[in-house]
Amino acid sequence: MSKRYYLFSILIAVSLILAACGGAAKAPDVCAENPDETVCAVIEEGSTIKIGYAGPMAGDYSAFGIDISNAGLLAVDDAGEFNGFTFELLIEDTQGSGEGGASVANLYVSDPDVVAIAGHTFSGSTAAAIPIYNAARLPMLSPSATKADLTDGPQDVFNRIPFTDDLQGQFAAEYLYNVLGVTKLAVMHDGDAYGKGVAERVQEVYMSLGGEVVAVEAVTPGETDYSAVLTDIGASDPEAIYFGGYYPECAVIAQGMPVAGMEDVLLFSDDGSYGEAFIELAGPHAEGVYAATGAPLDSAAKAEFDAYFESIYGDPPGAISTFTWHGYDIVDALIQTIKSVAILGDDGSLYIPREALVEAVNGLSGYEGLTGVLTCNGGECNASGPSFQVVQDGAWVIP
Amino acid sequence: MSETKPKKTTGRVNSFKIIQAIISVLFLAFLSWRLYNVISSGVYGPDTWVRFAISGLIIGSVYAVIAIGYTLVYGILFMINFAHGELMMIGAFSGYFVFEALKSIPVAATGMSFLDSYQIISVVLAFIVGMFMAALSGYFLEKIAYRPLRGAPRLIPLISAIGASIFLQNAAQVTFGPQRRTYTNPDALLRSQGWRIPIGGEEVILTYTGVLTFVLSILLLIGLYTLVMRTRYGRSMRAVAENKQTAALMGINVDRIISNTFIISGALGGAAGVMWGIHNGIIYHFVGFIPGIKAFTAAVLGGIGNIPGAMVGGLLLGIVESLGPAALGIDFQLKDVIAFSILVLILIFRPSGIVGEVLTEEKV
Repeated sequence: MSKRYYLFSILIAVSLILAACGGAAKAPDVCAENPDETVCAVIEEGSTIKIGYAGPMAGDYSAFGIDISNAGLLAVDDAGEFNGFTFELLIEDTQGSGEGGASVANLYVSDPDVVAIAGHTFSGSTAAAIPIYNAARLPMLSPSATKADLTDGPQDVFNRIPFTDDLQGQFAAEYLYNVLGVTKLAVMHDGDAYGKGVAERVQEVYMSLGGEVVAVEAVTPGETDYSAVLTDIGASDPEAIYFGGYYPECAVIAQGMPVAGMEDVLLFSDDGSYGEAFIELAGPHAEGVYAATGAPLDSAAKAEFDAYFESIYGDPPGAISTFTWHGYDIVDALIQTIKSVAILGDDGSLYIPREALVEAVNGLSGYEGLTGVLTCNGGECNASGPSFQVVQDGAWVIP
Repeated sequence: MSETKPKKTTGRVNSFKIIQAIISVLFLAFLSWRLYNVISSGVYGPDTWVRFAISGLIIGSVYAVIAIGYTLVYGILFMINFAHGELMMIGAFSGYFVFEALKSIPVAATGMSFLDSYQIISVVLAFIVGMFMAALSGYFLEKIAYRPLRGAPRLIPLISAIGASIFLQNAAQVTFGPQRRTYTNPDALLRSQGWRIPIGGEEVILTYTGVLTFVLSILLLIGLYTLVMRTRYGRSMRAVAENKQTAALMGINVDRIISNTFIISGALGGAAGVMWGIHNGIIYHFVGFIPGIKAFTAAVLGGIGNIPGAMVGGLLLGIVESLGPAALGIDFQLKDVIAFSILVLILIFRPSGIVGEVLTEEKV
């Protein structure tokens, strides 16, 4: 195996030099010199250009996989024909697990017509798949894997468009300090890996900006009375509370703040608290609460997509998961990139140099999708981060 | 040889007692030192201390009402009804559905819903339905899960109780769904609204729901105490608790007394559930579990089997949970550690609880 890997590396190096010398025009030469399909995918006439999607399609988390792949299928429909070839989205079930991710990755690697991967969906499954795709030089673009360290390591094929937990924390701290002008912040979390991680990041960035963190408290998830801990926080006189966690606890906090002497204190939370469920639970106490969301800002393109999606699948995007738009964007962005790299050969086959495609996906720049303008840098494509919304008159609105 | 043995034993007991005394003195000294530090540092103003006390008393009074349910059943059957927290959950859900139903009934005369037009009636209805449903569940719980095991060793009904608890939680999850729900209170009882009392330059809110919870808890406790101690029926309950065979010989229907005990304890649990819903707002199928465990702790703290003991234990636990972490200057996530440390200390130094267990011959 390793011998083969070295061979790849040499071939890659050669192809890189050639690509650097002559740009895209040299690509067919690379393909001509290396008829091996591991270097250059050859799509013969009558075949489809395959993009692999991997996510949980059955079981507890199937909502994510079904929702994202449904949106991806629309992107394939919209792509239409390219030099007489059509695109195809393969969909395989990872069950959201690491083992499932590795086996789907091995399946895709063994199909020479698969040129790019739309996925994976969960961080664990993605982590297991990255080394396999890296060896086979298949570019990845994930809609929803947010674990911070996925883009690290000895690989250069993984890219993603959601913001990471770290990025969310950083943006929240900056928003609190710069936009809302909060100078004294209390930080709360539910002790969970996600909530605690985001809250600690907020605390770190907020303090580095020059803000004062007056209290840090953890709550026990599942309880419905936090009056004592809120009274304790109220005594330190914060201007705002940042809560890292999910909506049930956030609703309990929102409701308990007035009694704890914090009627005028702002409550700010993460994307775990965002959604209709929070407003339903907190009722009138939801008013004025801020939360982060990965759902894109309203635009003409989004409105058009929303109507189209609902007419086909019955539910509006975002109803099942908040990654519907991401599912469309990753597949569409991969299709655009493949079109820019692929070369129609004289024999009627389509040649796609794999290394050039990896480079092109890694260098994706200024792609205008539903989720915003995507520019990949070191694997992170969504530099714009989350947007923040506030509850006004019983609905989430952009402040 | 035979003379030295008892000497050794007494010597051991004495040194154990001395060590016990030294440890407790050190512990008290440590506590007072922490308390002095926190108070002298002035982190908390007087308004904050009052807020801690208020929230502790309110939650403590709910614990007390639930704890009475444990104590009543223990007093009669000497078993811990671990499904009692689930009776509270059933009461909470019943109250929620009463409010939802009344909200959907329009009243032509006022142009508002029934819930907002007749607020007192609505709240009373919620309590009646909540107590009734929980009492009914308590009745069937005893019939199905405990009565067939009446003669079995003590551990068997305990396991049955845990099974019943898990069953009720999951049944509620299947029936009502896993999502959380919020009580829609009538206008007069909006959560976080209340009387504003100025203390130390700040306004402390004494919520209407909190006052309702506290007053109602105390009334329920007084009513129950009167029932058990002052009435003929209460005397027969106490007789069954004292000795079932003798009580039966005196013409008391033991089975009916036991059934009725479960009905009364269920009704108290149901009332606690509705209070919990009105005051805290958010309920789900798991809502009875933590208060149930806390109330059990409160019952043991005060002396299980003892009604005033359960009341003292409940209020004490509520106040300790609320004030303890602040007074000792430690993290609020550790409030349960303080509560259960106190339980362990009480069990070591005063095994029969603060007020003292009423020990019958059978238990001794």
